[in-house]
Amino acid sequence: MAMLYAGPIQDLIDELARMPGIGPKSAQRVAFYLLQASTEDAKRLAHAIVEAKDKVRFCERCFNVSDQDLCEYCRSTRRDPTIICVVQDPPDIVAIERTREYQGLYHVLQGALSPIEGIGPEDLRVAELLKRLRTPEDGSPAVAEVIVATNPNIDGDATAMYLARLISPLGVLVTRLASGMPVGGDLEYADEVTLGRAIEGRRRLEG
Amino acid sequence: MRVDRLVLEDFRNYEREEIDLSGGLNLVVGRNAQGKTNLLEAVYCIGGFGSPRGPDATLVREGAERALVHADVTRGERTVHVDLEYRPGRGMRALLNGTAVPGVRALRELTAAVFFGPDELSLIKGSPDGRRRFLDELVVKLRPARDTIKREWDRVLKQRNALLRSAPRGGGPGRSARETLVVWDEAFCKTGAELAAARLEVLAALTPYAAKRYEEVAGGGRLELSYQASWMDGSTGADVESLREALAAALDEVRTRELERGVSLIGPQRDDVAVNLSSAGYQQSLLDARAYASQGDQRTCALALKLGEHDLLTDALGDHPILLLDDVFSELDPARRAWLADAIRGIGQSLVSSAEPGAIESAGAARIIRIEAGRAAAGEPGDG
Repeated sequence: MAMLYAGPIQDLIDELARMPGIGPKSAQRVAFYLLQASTEDAKRLAHAIVEAKDKVRFCERCFNVSDQDLCEYCRSTRRDPTIICVVQDPPDIVAIERTREYQGLYHVLQGALSPIEGIGPEDLRVAELLKRLRTPEDGSPAVAEVIVATNPNIDGDATAMYLARLISPLGVLVTRLASGMPVGGDLEYADEVTLGRAIEGRRRLEG
Repeated sequence: MRVDRLVLEDFRNYEREEIDLSGGLNLVVGRNAQGKTNLLEAVYCIGGFGSPRGPDATLVREGAERALVHADVTRGERTVHVDLEYRPGRGMRALLNGTAVPGVRALRELTAAVFFGPDELSLIKGSPDGRRRFLDELVVKLRPARDTIKREWDRVLKQRNALLRSAPRGGGPGRSARETLVVWDEAFCKTGAELAAARLEVLAALTPYAAKRYEEVAGGGRLELSYQASWMDGSTGADVESLREALAAALDEVRTRELERGVSLIGPQRDDVAVNLSSAGYQQSLLDARAYASQGDQRTCALALKLGEHDLLTDALGDHPILLLDDVFSELDPARRAWLADAIRGIGQSLVSSAEPGAIESAGAARIIRIEAGRAAAGEPGDG
């Protein structure tokens, strides 16, 4: 994009435009909003960014965001350490937690396999996951099940398949979140891939 | 299904023009380079497949920011107002009855159109790419919800090729590339088999319709279509599971070479449709139309495929798709012109363009639309 504004304004726009989901136009809008905001407001935002960057780090065990060495789930004594749910990114944990259906631990891969973007297994937290499975922390029981909750798309599926091939030989049960019909959805509006998956993953009804 | 009224804004050479269409045969006449093809193209765009002539960016009139197409579309009892907007770099946005619809599937569910123009000769003569695209579009025209099959396949193919490209050449791939290749192979075979199965199903459905049309227009002879894939043989079943197994077995054989070359060497991305025909009088032998047929025969063949597509869609959708014939008559001999003029009577709405109105007088047009420099004037047959 061509340089249109004087130095510091353009620098701000450029920095904002590097963020995910923010294009050049949004960056410009946010930049001018910030310039018109009071100095206190701008400083508060700058402070929040620096604070977050300073204080928040990744959990040493599961790579969730955390303000301590271990995240709240890894620290908790009330979670079931024999089940690990593998997700791509920290926000996925928040989504699963909202259900209150899951009491196990997590492992954040920090992405999914994607050769186009040059992301291979060594760029993900795969080795760390295998280490957790092979050598449990002192005193904790061995992991019995790994739930792979990567996104139900091409990249997430490939990542799940890859993990299953690595983990199954360790004698750990590997499961994948079910794919299929959205609850409250309408069968006739479903696309064929979703419907096909739902048929593949159908379950016996106990009558 | 039909388009009753069409408004074009900044679309190709149209600044702003309103055009009323008949539910039967619409004859679009005018000198060359006045906008006849553009009008047919706009109707095709309403079907949600983009331009039949190339990149959508060229739809926008020079100097304008976006191109708009508004249309009243009737299917069965239902009339829907469609607004389309093309903005270069932003793609297409569609409103149905004033409500934004995500993606283009709703358009594809609403209407279907068949476009046949002078370039369609490449369907026979051109590269396999055009024949694959023809099949893949027909899959979606018949079952709009199947668009995900091709999308998933495209993604897998891209990912697998990227991986093959990044794998170190020569002395064998790196460990991690080899480990992950297994999972991309699996995805390749699964989505590839789904795509091939969809294509085979559509080709099997299309063949009798196209063959019948070929015999009619050529006055005899025989047309056969067959799917050509290096990874299939005569014993490969047409179901997804058999195709997946065949693809997996073939992949095992070429994987080493693929790693050397850094690209997927077999699969649906390389398949083709063989068009074989024997002309009237030479009943005994079928020849590859791509190599052996005369230009005239190739044109007849392409026309038979498109009319066959129209017939198949008519039976499958329970309604005539909109037929768009661009400058076709001038390319045909008098006997074939007469046959085509007869064939398009009573098969729903059609738009037929010609630079020489005399060529299709016998078709019995319900409406004649004269195009001059991006302006349209409607007239009744017999005017002027």
